[in-house]
Amino acid sequence: MAKTILAVDDSSSLRQMVAFSLKAAGYQVIEAVDGQDGLDKAKQQAVDLVLTDQNMPKMDGLTLIKSLRGLPTYAKVPILMLTTESSDEMKSKGRAAGANGWLVKPFDPQRLIEVVKKVIG
Amino acid sequence: MTRKKILGSHVKRLLSGVSDHGRRHLNEVETDLVQTTLLLEEAVEKLTTSFMAIHQAVDARQHSINRLLAGEAPSAEESEKLTGMSGEIGQHVNTAITSMQFQDMTSQLLDRTLRRVSGLREFLTTLSEHGADIAPDCHSEEIVERLGKVSMALAIQSLELRSMLRKSVEQRHLESGDVELF
Repeated sequence: MAKTILAVDDSSSLRQMVAFSLKAAGYQVIEAVDGQDGLDKAKQQAVDLVLTDQNMPKMDGLTLIKSLRGLPTYAKVPILMLTTESSDEMKSKGRAAGANGWLVKPFDPQRLIEVVKKVIG
Repeated sequence: MTRKKILGSHVKRLLSGVSDHGRRHLNEVETDLVQTTLLLEEAVEKLTTSFMAIHQAVDARQHSINRLLAGEAPSAEESEKLTGMSGEIGQHVNTAITSMQFQDMTSQLLDRTLRRVSGLREFLTTLSEHGADIAPDCHSEEIVERLGKVSMALAIQSLELRSMLRKSVEQRHLESGDVELF
C-alpha cells in the first residue's frame, strides 16, 4: 500500500510540484493550504510523513509541527520542513519544535524523493 | 537653550528621522527588487533551456517511432537511445520543476516589498496628520511638543515595520537548496 504524505504549502504551484514529484515516485499525497488546514487534515487522516513550508497564513510551519507533536498519533511521525528559510537560527527552531529534517527551496524532485525514501522508505 | 534652538533641534531630528527611515526602507525595496529580477531572469533562461530540451527529446522520440512504424528495424544504438529517452525527459522535467519554484520565492519578495511600501505610506500619513494639527499661528512651545510627538510616533512605526519584515528569502539563484536531516 502506498505511503501517504501530507504536503503543506500556501503556494498552489509549489504544492502541485511537490505532489507531482511524489506521486510519480508512488506516494499518495494529501495537500493542505496552510498550517491550520494541515493540522485539520492530519487529524482527519493519519499520514506517514508531513512535509511543510514555514511561512504561511493562519498557522506557520513551526506552529504546525509543535501542534502535531502534541498529538499522540504524530509523536513519532517524520516531519520535514521545505522552505525558503535557510538560516541556522530557523533550522534550530525547527529542530527544537520537532522537525526531522530541513530542506531549503528550491527543491530538486530527484533529491526530494531520495530524502523521502530515506525517511519513510 | 533658546526657544529658536530647541525648535531647530526638533525640526532637525524629525527631518533626519524621516530621511533615515525612508532611505533604509527604500534600500531594502531596491535589494528585494534586484533579487527578484535576478531570480526571474534565471528562471526564464533555465525554463527556456528545459522546454527546448524536452521538445528536442520528444521530437527525436517521435522520429524513432515514425521509423519503427514504417517497418524499419531499430539499430542497437537506437534501441538504447529510445530506452533512455524517458529518463532524459524526466531529467529535463526535474530541472524545470526546480526552476519553476521562482514563483514561490519572488512572490515572497514582492509581498515583502508591497508591505514595506504600504508601511511607508502609513508613515507619510502619520507625518501629514501631525503636520495638519499644527496651526500657522501656534506658539513655538506647542510646535516643539507636536514635533516631539510626531518624531516618537514615526520612530515606533519605523521599528514596527522593520520587525514585521524579516527576510525569509536569501536565495539569489535557482540551484536546489541544502538538505539536512536531524
